[in-house]
Amino acid sequence: MEKKFGVYLCKGCGIADAIDFESLTKVIKKEGKIQHIKEADVLCSPEGLAMIKEDLNPEGEGINSIVIAACSSRVKYEEFDFPGALIERCNIREQVAWTHEPNNEHTQALAEDYLRMSCARIKKTEMPEAWQTECDKTILVIGGGIAGLSAALQAADNGYQVVLVEKEAELGGYAAKLYRQTPSSYPYTTLQEPVVFKKIQEVQNHPKIKVMTSAVLEKLDGQPGLFDADIKVGGDLETLRVGTVVLAAGWKPYDATKLSHLGYGLSKDVVTNIEMEEMAKAGKIVRPSDGKAPEAVAFIQCAGSRDPEHLPYCSDFCCMASLKQALYVREQNPEAVAYILYKDIRTPGQMELFYKEVQSDPGVMLTKAEIAGVELGEGGKVLIRATDTLLGENVTFEADLVVLATGIVPVTADEAIINLGYRQGPGLPDLELFSGFADSNFICFPYETRRTGIYAAGCVHQPMNIAMAMEDGVGAACKAIQAAEHTAAGMAVHPRAWDITFPDPFMQRCTQCKRCTEECPFGAIEEDEKGTPFYKINRCRRCGTCMGACPERIVSFKDYNVDLIGSTLKAVDVPELEDEDDPQAPFRVIGLICENDAYPALDAAALHKLRINPCVRFIPLRCLGSFNMVWISDALSRGIDGVILLGCKSGDDYQCHFAKGSELCEYRLSKLSETLDKLGLESDRVIQYQIAHSDFDRLPQLIDDFVARVREIGPNPFKEF
Amino acid sequence: MAGDTIIKPDLQFVKRVMAAGGDTVKKCYQCDTCSVVCNLSPDQKPFPRKEMLMAQWGMKEVLKDPDIWLCHQCSDCTLQCPRGAKPGEVLGAIRKMCIEEYATPPVLARAVGDPKFLPLLIAFPMLILLIMLKFTGIIGVGSGLSIPDGPIVYSKMFPTLWLVDLIFVPAFFFAVAVLAKGVMTYWRDINAPHPWRVKVEGNLAANLIATLKDIILHNRFRLCELTYNRSTNHLFLVFGFIFLFVVTSWGFLNEWVLHHESPYFLLSPIKLLAMAGTAALLYGIWNILKERQTNAEKADYGSYYDWFLIYLILAVGVTGLGAWLFRLVGIRILAYPTYFLHLTAVFMLFFYAPYTKMAHIVYRTVAMLHARMSGRGF
Repeated sequence: MEKKFGVYLCKGCGIADAIDFESLTKVIKKEGKIQHIKEADVLCSPEGLAMIKEDLNPEGEGINSIVIAACSSRVKYEEFDFPGALIERCNIREQVAWTHEPNNEHTQALAEDYLRMSCARIKKTEMPEAWQTECDKTILVIGGGIAGLSAALQAADNGYQVVLVEKEAELGGYAAKLYRQTPSSYPYTTLQEPVVFKKIQEVQNHPKIKVMTSAVLEKLDGQPGLFDADIKVGGDLETLRVGTVVLAAGWKPYDATKLSHLGYGLSKDVVTNIEMEEMAKAGKIVRPSDGKAPEAVAFIQCAGSRDPEHLPYCSDFCCMASLKQALYVREQNPEAVAYILYKDIRTPGQMELFYKEVQSDPGVMLTKAEIAGVELGEGGKVLIRATDTLLGENVTFEADLVVLATGIVPVTADEAIINLGYRQGPGLPDLELFSGFADSNFICFPYETRRTGIYAAGCVHQPMNIAMAMEDGVGAACKAIQAAEHTAAGMAVHPRAWDITFPDPFMQRCTQCKRCTEECPFGAIEEDEKGTPFYKINRCRRCGTCMGACPERIVSFKDYNVDLIGSTLKAVDVPELEDEDDPQAPFRVIGLICENDAYPALDAAALHKLRINPCVRFIPLRCLGSFNMVWISDALSRGIDGVILLGCKSGDDYQCHFAKGSELCEYRLSKLSETLDKLGLESDRVIQYQIAHSDFDRLPQLIDDFVARVREIGPNPFKEF
Repeated sequence: MAGDTIIKPDLQFVKRVMAAGGDTVKKCYQCDTCSVVCNLSPDQKPFPRKEMLMAQWGMKEVLKDPDIWLCHQCSDCTLQCPRGAKPGEVLGAIRKMCIEEYATPPVLARAVGDPKFLPLLIAFPMLILLIMLKFTGIIGVGSGLSIPDGPIVYSKMFPTLWLVDLIFVPAFFFAVAVLAKGVMTYWRDINAPHPWRVKVEGNLAANLIATLKDIILHNRFRLCELTYNRSTNHLFLVFGFIFLFVVTSWGFLNEWVLHHESPYFLLSPIKLLAMAGTAALLYGIWNILKERQTNAEKADYGSYYDWFLIYLILAVGVTGLGAWLFRLVGIRILAYPTYFLHLTAVFMLFFYAPYTKMAHIVYRTVAMLHARMSGRGF
């Protein structure tokens, strides 16, 4: 499209009090090379917006590419939404007016630089067009337990076709194997029939759910909206086209043979909570050794859980399960007693009320205890030696039956389950971080996995009880629906949920180095028979990590590419330094900041009216993973004195919204220091910091310290050129 | 701790604690707020948390834990307990069970603690007194009850020899014997080896005197916050009893040794002491009753066991005062029956002392002595 530019300046929120608009307008015209400039007292007001809309009228001015110089792009996005127009948000409120001294020459220079940058940027931005395909919106649910059933019902009730794949012959998972379940509704005091049976009925009767039992997912290939699922039923293989996936494959019990220190294997009368439940379901709880009903049953909690030698995590429902089974014992024989030997009692959700109720039973006795050993006693009884109890120091309990409250292991700990036909592997990557659970560090995006279009729910996601698993299934189904709809519209799912741009590589210059293919956090890039990488666009999250990785710089997005950012930072005016030792000397630093944590931190600093160093010009990036090293050469060759990169935390508890972005950037920078040193440039001129949104108060000091270091090193020798 | 202790929980014991007034014991979740809040609790192995747990686990050994007697039921713990487990009340119930455990015969001990038996407990002394009345001719076959004529002299109704001495003295010594047996067994038990035993050291007599001094001065009571007023009320009650005990013994001496017959001159030292004692007793018990009602919501109303003794003491005081006043004023038809009731009440107070809360006189003293001699900061 032929671009007609316009710049709109907002005077509100203190902007006009800090900046001289006359000078600014001159710079826009002369250096930004845009002549059509308008001002408004409050640009987001109906009058201000009407002014813009009038200009955008194709019959009128026909402006179609606008720079809105006002507040941060993180606010007022609904107001400044003009479909069909290219919009560039220039942040002169948070990044200038609110964080710098008003009516000051440095502040003025900063505002002018931002307008130069935005004008350069809008020139390079192209109108995005969505990549749309014939997408299927069927939801594949892997696992017919309580989470999977809940997910299936949620999707089907909202009009989506569902395929439910369950490996057992019966639906219901472990929930259906219970004798009773803990209460899932107020007042949380009585045990109830497992609620899963009702769900099974609903699913089986639902016209939109295709139930496949004794079925296993052999292979899942393709991309969201266009997945091909090979499902094996008995001996037959059926291939189905699905849109998105809910992984609700559940758990298996921890192997109790590893718990010999707690007596498992020593005596037949030491059983696991699963074995106890089986006995209750079969009709009678007995001592396996002689078939007699027990008078005293001891429950050892945290059996192989919260233990670095076994399972390091808590399995969430074992405390409640033991209290429930204690009630079984009491129901079977009102003269029998149950001992609960715990490290802590954990009552997730509303279960405190259930705990209080069980506690009030005189036959259920609780104490904290560290189990020192389990031995055989007289008369076929089992002795449990314990220390650090509430009853005294070293005590021994004598029981007829001992129940070990063992924990859960997600099925994804040992098997891929989703069996992806992806180059990066069949399973979800890096699950060791989460002890094998299909979990993520994306606190903002629960159910998320590192494979787009696949959402985890239930105990394969995190240990949880039935009430939580039902909610989890519903949530994951909602995400799966969102993903299916967005994908069909050619839009990214999240975190860039509005984004219709997509990576469009200039393949002629591709050297097949495969850096993009390996580094993509989401496995969105495959490799053909000749070894040439190609995109599966619907898997893409539009982070631009591939763009940053490519040494040939062939990857670009319509509104985000190497040249665009390069041009933006080259638009900065680099003044000559008369006296480099003057503390006010106008050194110039570029800040490349990720839009997920660092940019919001800057906005937060602005909200608190903290002062930021006037030497720095910030350029937002989609992710530090998209950082391309050529920008450093671009900046340094222009005489920029330093570059600071601000991004999310990396590491095992990463906060990076694209998993690996800031880590990759750090890695690339480490290679850069060598190059810089060889060029005679100090590697100290480029630095990367990890910043969380909540670290905003540290930012001013952080930036000041860096600028001070740059001043110490001295101005960029290339400045004169 | 040397060896391991095998925990032997007894479900029936738990149920008995709950029936004895500790019905809220299972609500305790061992947060220890009670022990922290208790101003009477020593820093080492404080109470009442561990006693609550022992009760929950049906561990009968809690009856041999002297800490239950260090508690003065000030109810600060009941007030602060976040779960409403009322540790003050639970400990009160355990103390009741402790008294029952060490009193003989057990059947009498259990009867005194059971509301069902109240009519029988009152009827028993009344029956004895009525038999006495038959002997003295006040009750005759065919003639019903007759009120003696002339000036009111209670020995017309109950001759001193037959009555006071033949009934009340043995009753008194019976009570003393049962208490003595109980407390000696108790002392042996709290010094026997058990997981929480602390050995005693030092001179028994000297420590006993120090303990008694502590008790008389009501030092423990002044540590209570919610029920601080008991430090005054109970003090009056105790001194009331002491004065009346002195007066009774003095009277006994007058009758049998010095042959000064009653009634005595109104302003004589013995009468003045008696009046002071009566006033103190009534003042004390009345305020104790009123305070319990005031604090009922925060500190819990109290059990049957608590109120049995309160009303009994009140009855002793009111009927005693009544009998004296009616005699002075000369209303025969009220005086003699009031005196009858007074004797009933006094008998109950003495004879049932080893089984009612009254037994705390020996048990608490011994427990405090034990705490002092085992270095628990007393």
